[in-house]
Amino acid sequence: MAISPKMNHLILYFAAIMTLLVSLSTSDSNSDLVSELLNLQSQSEAGVIHLNDQLVSRFLTSTKTPRSYSILIFFDAHQLHNKPELHLQELRNEFSLVASSFIANNVDNPSSRGKLFFCYLEFKESQSSFALFAVNSLPHIRLVGPDAKSLKDDSVQMEQGDFARMAESMADFVQSRTKLTVGPIQRPPLLSKKQIGLIVVVILIWIPFMAKKIFAGETLLHDRKIWLLGSVFVYFFSVSGAMHNIIRKMPMFLADRNDPNKLVFFYQGSGMQLGAEGFAVGFLYTIVGLLLALMTHGLVRVKSVSIQRWVMIVSLLISFWAVNKVIYLDNWKTGYGVHGFWPSSWN
Amino acid sequence: MVGKTESQNGAVKATAAPAMNLESDLFSNFSFKSFKLKTKQQELLLRVSILGLVYILAFITRLFSVLRYESMIHEFDPYFNYRTTLFLTEKGFYEFWNWFDSESWYPLGRIIGGTLYPGLMVTAAFIYWTLRFLRFAVHIREVCVLTAPFFASNTTVVAYFFGKEIWDSGAGLVAAAFIAICPGYISRSVAGSYDNEGVAIFALLLTFYLFVKAVNTGSLAWALASAFGYFYMVSAWGGYVFIINLIPLYVLVLLITGRYSMRLYVAYNCMYVLGMLLAMQIRFVGFQHVQSGEHMAAMGVFFLMQVFYFLDWVKYMLSDTKLFQAFLRITVTSAIAVGALALGVGTASGYISPWTGRFYSLLDPTYAKDNIPIIASVSEHQPTAWSSFMFDFHILLFLFPAGLYFCFKKLSDATIFIVMYGLTSMYFAGVMVRLILVATPAVCLISAIAVSATIKNLTSLLRTKSKTAVAGSSKGTGGSKASSKASFDQSQPFQKNGAIALLLGAFYLLSKYATHCTWVTSEAYSSPSIVLAARGAHGNRVIFDDYREAYFWLRQNTPPDAKVMSWWDYGYQITAMGNRTVIVDNNTWNNTHIATVGRAMSSYEDEAYEIMRSLDVDYVLVVFGGVTGYSSDDINKFLWMVRIGGGVFPVIKEPDYLVNGDYRVDKGAAPKMLNCLMYKLSYYRFGELVTEYGKPPG
Repeated sequence: MAISPKMNHLILYFAAIMTLLVSLSTSDSNSDLVSELLNLQSQSEAGVIHLNDQLVSRFLTSTKTPRSYSILIFFDAHQLHNKPELHLQELRNEFSLVASSFIANNVDNPSSRGKLFFCYLEFKESQSSFALFAVNSLPHIRLVGPDAKSLKDDSVQMEQGDFARMAESMADFVQSRTKLTVGPIQRPPLLSKKQIGLIVVVILIWIPFMAKKIFAGETLLHDRKIWLLGSVFVYFFSVSGAMHNIIRKMPMFLADRNDPNKLVFFYQGSGMQLGAEGFAVGFLYTIVGLLLALMTHGLVRVKSVSIQRWVMIVSLLISFWAVNKVIYLDNWKTGYGVHGFWPSSWN
Repeated sequence: MVGKTESQNGAVKATAAPAMNLESDLFSNFSFKSFKLKTKQQELLLRVSILGLVYILAFITRLFSVLRYESMIHEFDPYFNYRTTLFLTEKGFYEFWNWFDSESWYPLGRIIGGTLYPGLMVTAAFIYWTLRFLRFAVHIREVCVLTAPFFASNTTVVAYFFGKEIWDSGAGLVAAAFIAICPGYISRSVAGSYDNEGVAIFALLLTFYLFVKAVNTGSLAWALASAFGYFYMVSAWGGYVFIINLIPLYVLVLLITGRYSMRLYVAYNCMYVLGMLLAMQIRFVGFQHVQSGEHMAAMGVFFLMQVFYFLDWVKYMLSDTKLFQAFLRITVTSAIAVGALALGVGTASGYISPWTGRFYSLLDPTYAKDNIPIIASVSEHQPTAWSSFMFDFHILLFLFPAGLYFCFKKLSDATIFIVMYGLTSMYFAGVMVRLILVATPAVCLISAIAVSATIKNLTSLLRTKSKTAVAGSSKGTGGSKASSKASFDQSQPFQKNGAIALLLGAFYLLSKYATHCTWVTSEAYSSPSIVLAARGAHGNRVIFDDYREAYFWLRQNTPPDAKVMSWWDYGYQITAMGNRTVIVDNNTWNNTHIATVGRAMSSYEDEAYEIMRSLDVDYVLVVFGGVTGYSSDDINKFLWMVRIGGGVFPVIKEPDYLVNGDYRVDKGAAPKMLNCLMYKLSYYRFGELVTEYGKPPG
C-alpha cells in the first residue's frame, strides 16, 4: 500500500513531463492528444487514466471543440472510501470494469478506441478541477462529450439510476450518449487460474488418502460428533436469518442517522434484520437448547454434587435470561404485545 | 364473546396436554391398586383421551377467523380452488378433468385439468359427497372453509404416531400437542384458507411416517402405504419435490454411514417404483419423474441401491476378501461413471430438463433475486428474518438444539430421518418465508423429543424420591434413567428441589408457548385479507369490505363477456367472485403475458390504450389504499410491475420511476411515474372527492 501511491505519482510526473515535452515539440492536434491518451491509458491500471488539474486543462479546457474524443470522468475522494453508504470503492471497481471491457472489446477497432477514455480525478490533488465541474457531492460520474465547451454546463452527469445496476447500466449510459459500443462486461472469474490449479492439485493429493480412509470406514462421516456439530451449525445458520442477510446483502450494523458515532445493531420492524442482530439471537437460541441438553445428559455424569449444583443454577439463570431477552427483543422488533385471553372477571 | 371462550379453552388445553402426558405415568404408578383397570389399559385410556382433546383443540383453534369475520374463503389462491371445487361438484369429475377455462388468461385460456394439483378439490368434493350421502345438507363453501382445520386435526394424529415411531408415545403426544397449535402451521390452515398446503402437510407427514415405519419394519405393506401417501401428496401440492429429494438423500446418508439393510432396500424400492408410477397419473406431473432434473436424485439412488444389493450378493458368493475389494472398487466406479454419463447425455440431448427456477433458487438463494423477478416479487418468497422464526415457532426454537442432541444420543434409522428432515427444512425455511410451513412438523417433533425426554427424566427423579421417602427403600420403580441413578447420596433434597425448579421452568415455557400461539392465531393469522378490519378512533372495529363490493359491482354492472385487466394478484378473485374474464391471474405460468400487463400499467395513457386494445380489455381494475390507509395496494406493488414489465420489454426501465433511487408518489415523483397509467388511475380525481372513492374506473 505504501509503495503504490508513490509509484502512481512517479508515473504521473513522468506522464506530465512527457506531455510537456510532447506539447513543446508538436502542435496540439487532435490526433496527438489521442495518441497521448492512448499512451496514458496503456500505462494505467485497468485503463482508467488518472487525471489531475494539468491534464484536465490539457485534454479538456485548452482544446478546441469539437474534440475527437469523449472523456468519462469518475470523481473519487480517497478520504470518503471508508463511508460504506456512498459505495465509492464498489462503483470505482465497476467503473474500471467498464473501462477494461470497453478496451478489450474494441481491441480490433482502433477508431472507436480512440473516441472514449475513462478517467478519474482524486479530490485531494485536483480540487480546482472539481470546482471546474462544480462537483460537490459524490458519487459523481460525468461524461464530457466532444462538443462540450464549458465543463460545468455542457457535460452530462450520469444519473443515480444509471449506476444503480452497476457496470451494466454504466455501459448502457455510455452507449446511449456516445453511440460507441462497450460490449459485454468482462468480469474477472471468481478464482484465478493459479488458484484453480492449486485447488485441483490439493484435491488430487488428498484423494488417495481419502479413499484409503473411506475403505477403512474411519472417516469423519462416521463420527457422530461431527454430524452433531454440523447439524447444530445448520440450525444456527437458519434461525439466525443468515440466508436473509446473504440474499439481501444486509450489513452487520448501521450507523445511526442522528448520531454517526453510534452504531445501530438492532433494526426495528419485522421482515428486516441486520447481520449482527441475527447472529446474536441465533446464539441465544442455540445456547438455551444446548444447556438443556447438557443438564439432562452431561451434568448427571459429574460426580461432585456442588459442581452439579452450581452448573445447574448458572445454566438455569442463563437460560432464563436468554429466553427473556429474546422474547423482549421480539416484542420490541415486531411491535406486537402478546397476551393471553383470560376471562374478563379475572382482571 | 364466543371467540373469547374458545381461545380460553385453547390456552388451557394446550398446557394441559403435555402435563397430562407425564401425569399418565405418575397416575398409572400410584393408583393401579385402587382401580380395576390394569396399568396398560389406564395408560391407553389416558393417551386416547389426550389425543382426542388435542384433535379437537387443533380444530377449534383454527376457527377464530370464522368467529371474527364469517365463514368465507380467504386470500387469493383459495378462490381459484373454490371455483374449481364448485365446478367439480356441479359438473362431475370428467368434466373437471377436461376443463378448458376461457375466462382466465384471455386470449390464451388455461387448461385447468392439466395445470393444477387436483388433490385438494377432490378431497373437498369427496367430503361434500359423503356428507350429502349421510343427508347433511351442507353448502360446498362450508366444506371448503373447514377442510384445512379438519386436516390439521388429522395431522396431529399422524404426528403422534410419528413421534411414537421415532421416540416413544410420550414424545408422540407432546408432538401432537405442539403441532396442533404451532403458528407456523396455523398460518396456512385456518378455517377459510382453502389452499393446497392445508391438505399437503398432512400428506407430507403421513408419507414420511409411513416410510420411516417401512424402514423400521422392512414390511412391504408399510412401503406400499407410503407409496400411496406419496401419491396423495403429489396430487395435492407441488411441494412433493421435497419428499422425492429428501428420501433419496436420507437413503444416501444411510448408505454412506454404513446402515444399509434389507429393510431399507425393500422400503425404498417399493416406495419409489410404485410412488413414481402412481404420481405419473397426475396430469400436471406427468413424466417429470423420469424427465426432470429435480427427480433425478431419486432415480440415481434407486440404481445405487441395486448396485449395493448386487455387491452384497457377490460378497456372499465370493469368499476371497481381496478379490471382493477389487471388485467393489471397479463396480462402484463404473456405476458412478455410468450414472454421470447417463445424466450428462440426458441433459445434453434435452431428454432430462434442467432444474426449474424455483428449485434452483432454493439451492442458490441469490438466484431468484437476480434472474426471476416474478418469483422474487411474491411476498411469501422473501427470505426469513429471525423474528419470523420466533413468531412462528416461539419456544420450539429453543428446544430444537436440545432435541437434536437427544436424537444424536440415541441414533437410529428413524432419528436420522427426523434430524435430516429438520435440518433440510430449516435451511429452506431460512430461504423462503413460506417454507416455514414445511419445517413446522419437523421442528415440532424434534422439540417434542426434547420436552418429553427432559420431563420424563425429571418426573422419574421426583417419583423415585417420593417413593424412597415413603417406603424407605432405595429401589426406585421407574428409575431406570441415568439421571436418577447418579443421585442417591445425601443430596436428595437438593436434587428434588432442582428437579422441581426445572419442571416449573418447563411448564412456564410451555404455558408461554400456548399463550403465544393462541394470541398469534387470533390476532395475526385469522384475517382473511379480503375483508380488512381496523380499529377505529374509539377502539371500535371497522370492517372494510371494499374488495367484495368491487367484485360484485363488476358482476352487476358490466356485460358478462367483459374483459378485466388488473395486476395478477386479483385475477382469481375477479373470476371467482366477479365472474368476468381476466387477462392474467395468480397462476403465473406465462411471464410474457404478465409483463405485457405490467408494461401497460407503467406506460403513458396513450401507449397503454394501444396495448389494452390489442388485448381486448374493457375494464381496468386497480386497488388503491390511499383513502383507507391500506398499505398493500397497487401503488405499493407498482415497482414490481415495472420490474416484471422491464424484464421482458426493455423499454420499461426501473430508474425512470425513481427519484435518486427512492420511490415516491408525491409531487416530487419522477415524471414518468406521474404520467403512467397506474398512477393516473389510482389518483384519478383524488383531490376532488375523497369520501366516495373506491370504484374502479373503466
